[in-house]
Amino acid sequence: MSISEAMQSAARDVLASGQVQRVIGYETGPHGRVRPAIIDRPEEAERLVWSADCTHNLTVYLHRALTGENGRASREAVAPPARVAIVVKPCDSRAINVLLAEHQFSREQVFAIGMACEGMRQGAPASAPEATLQARCLRCRERVPVVHDVLLGEPPSALPEALPDEALAHVRDLPPAERAAFWLSQFDRCIRCYACRQACPMCNCPTCLFEQEDALWVGMRIAPSEKRTFHLGRALHLAGRCVGCNECERVCPMGIPIGLLNRHLAETVESLYGHRAGMQPVLSPVTGMLSAEESAP
Amino acid sequence: MKTLSRENLNLWLDGLAAQHALIAPHLEAPGVFYRPVQRAQEIAWEAGRPVLSAKEFLFPPSERLLKVEKRGPDVRLEASPSAAPQVIFGLRPCDARGIRVLDTAFVDTPPIDSRYASRRENTLLVGLACRSMGASCFCTAVGLAPDDPRDMDVMFSDRGATLAVQALTPRGEALIANLPLVEELGEVEPASRREVGGLPTAEAWKESYSDARWAKHGERCLSCRLCAYVCPTCRCYDVRDEALPSPPGEAHFERLRAWDSCMREGYRLTAGGHNPRAASGSRLRNRLLCKFVYYPHQYGPAACTGCGRCLDACPVNLDLLEIGGALQEAAQ
Repeated sequence: MSISEAMQSAARDVLASGQVQRVIGYETGPHGRVRPAIIDRPEEAERLVWSADCTHNLTVYLHRALTGENGRASREAVAPPARVAIVVKPCDSRAINVLLAEHQFSREQVFAIGMACEGMRQGAPASAPEATLQARCLRCRERVPVVHDVLLGEPPSALPEALPDEALAHVRDLPPAERAAFWLSQFDRCIRCYACRQACPMCNCPTCLFEQEDALWVGMRIAPSEKRTFHLGRALHLAGRCVGCNECERVCPMGIPIGLLNRHLAETVESLYGHRAGMQPVLSPVTGMLSAEESAP
Repeated sequence: MKTLSRENLNLWLDGLAAQHALIAPHLEAPGVFYRPVQRAQEIAWEAGRPVLSAKEFLFPPSERLLKVEKRGPDVRLEASPSAAPQVIFGLRPCDARGIRVLDTAFVDTPPIDSRYASRRENTLLVGLACRSMGASCFCTAVGLAPDDPRDMDVMFSDRGATLAVQALTPRGEALIANLPLVEELGEVEPASRREVGGLPTAEAWKESYSDARWAKHGERCLSCRLCAYVCPTCRCYDVRDEALPSPPGEAHFERLRAWDSCMREGYRLTAGGHNPRAASGSRLRNRLLCKFVYYPHQYGPAACTGCGRCLDACPVNLDLLEIGGALQEAAQ
């Protein structure tokens, strides 16, 4: 049985047995592009696929699937599913831990179909033989999801050496003025389409700070000052929470290296606090820890 | 057929850039964008479709409509200055049609949008025919062609050492009046066309309103604004007054407008907190029916230029042709 078939079978079983009411997985679109698929019936499971093009972090759909907040065009009240199954890679599964720590849903509401992961392909469709792994995957040594209820595929016994983050080292080594100039020129391309925020499982505020109805904090201009505030502010809000799935960077139409900024903060948090987001269901020490003085009654 | 040598074209473009703002396809690190250029040398000639359409040069992402300065009982209003002349060169037929769609809504139909009108009056559209259609292009499905000159002031077609030139409007005639054009025998070779299916009829779009598939598609939609912001015809905006830094004893404000999109969750939020388009499926439906039903109802032809940007840009592969194709099948 191929790994796609094993996943279809797992999805079919949990739907048919009533363990879950919905499965969030991957399917192939009409032009060969792999994309998220959300299915509610066992017979739809045959649509699901697993390949090295399943790069999307599907945990972005979990909260809305479990609350029924989104997706219905009719006025009929539809009870949200009590439990949802979701296909996760190791990086995605860490997002579940962060969301659990932040009480977005409970562990019982999620059935995680964990995939042993050997990395996702860069850009080109699966058929391109010369396709290489994404840079983030070349740096990653995680092969088994930290959260899973079933594990599919065989994690490789020998791991290739993880590549160092040369892009990050390069930016960090720039003189401060050049580094600032680099980042500001990247942010200035932003068109505030918010694709990065919408694709991010951690960007789950009911009202985004950068989109308040009043302009006390950030105005609605699509101009350098607002763009810089948005990107720097969002990065800080993700410090210790970002799991490095790189969806923000993947979806950006303007090619802004958002993931680079997130990795800088993730490394900083790890070196200061010894915390890696989502390895356990615990809160980020940056946003959740008070000093002894602050927490004193 | 009138032609112009590449050398003379470059000289002409250098001259245009010195007199007006010259906008043209330009290669930036992540891709090709319509950008102000200083010299012909900066133009990306062999580039594919620019990442964004050219609408931002007529309908900028954000702009000041008005400045308000309040000093005690005195209130001074300062309108924004009118636009400076600009030439958009290397415009694609799909993007020129996008501007035509904006013209119809902003200028040809009252009330006239004065900010847009001021820019439009000062803008010349100089096209460069596409030699062929890109993988996701479907301009032929909306009645355009990769070398369609109809919405341009001047149209160029690349023939290698020379380019065929055609003026389509009196302003275009004036723009190229002093060019050393050469009369050559023969006709411009048409661009290679590909017929693309999938677009439903207006009737099928209309009948799709209650189709359950919208909700299904909506489940996948992330409710970002990517499709709208890369779209040459999406033209929704928000207007707000924001405070400006003011000297002591005074209060300065500006009235801003900025791009907005019906794809975002709070777009239709009303006073009192009701949101008639709270579901992402209903927002997706609204955006597509706006192109193919609501805009045609109010203004004329469909507001889609077949540029294919939304097909490529959607992070979760929501595909207008796939959605439409299924609706058309359902209607039959």
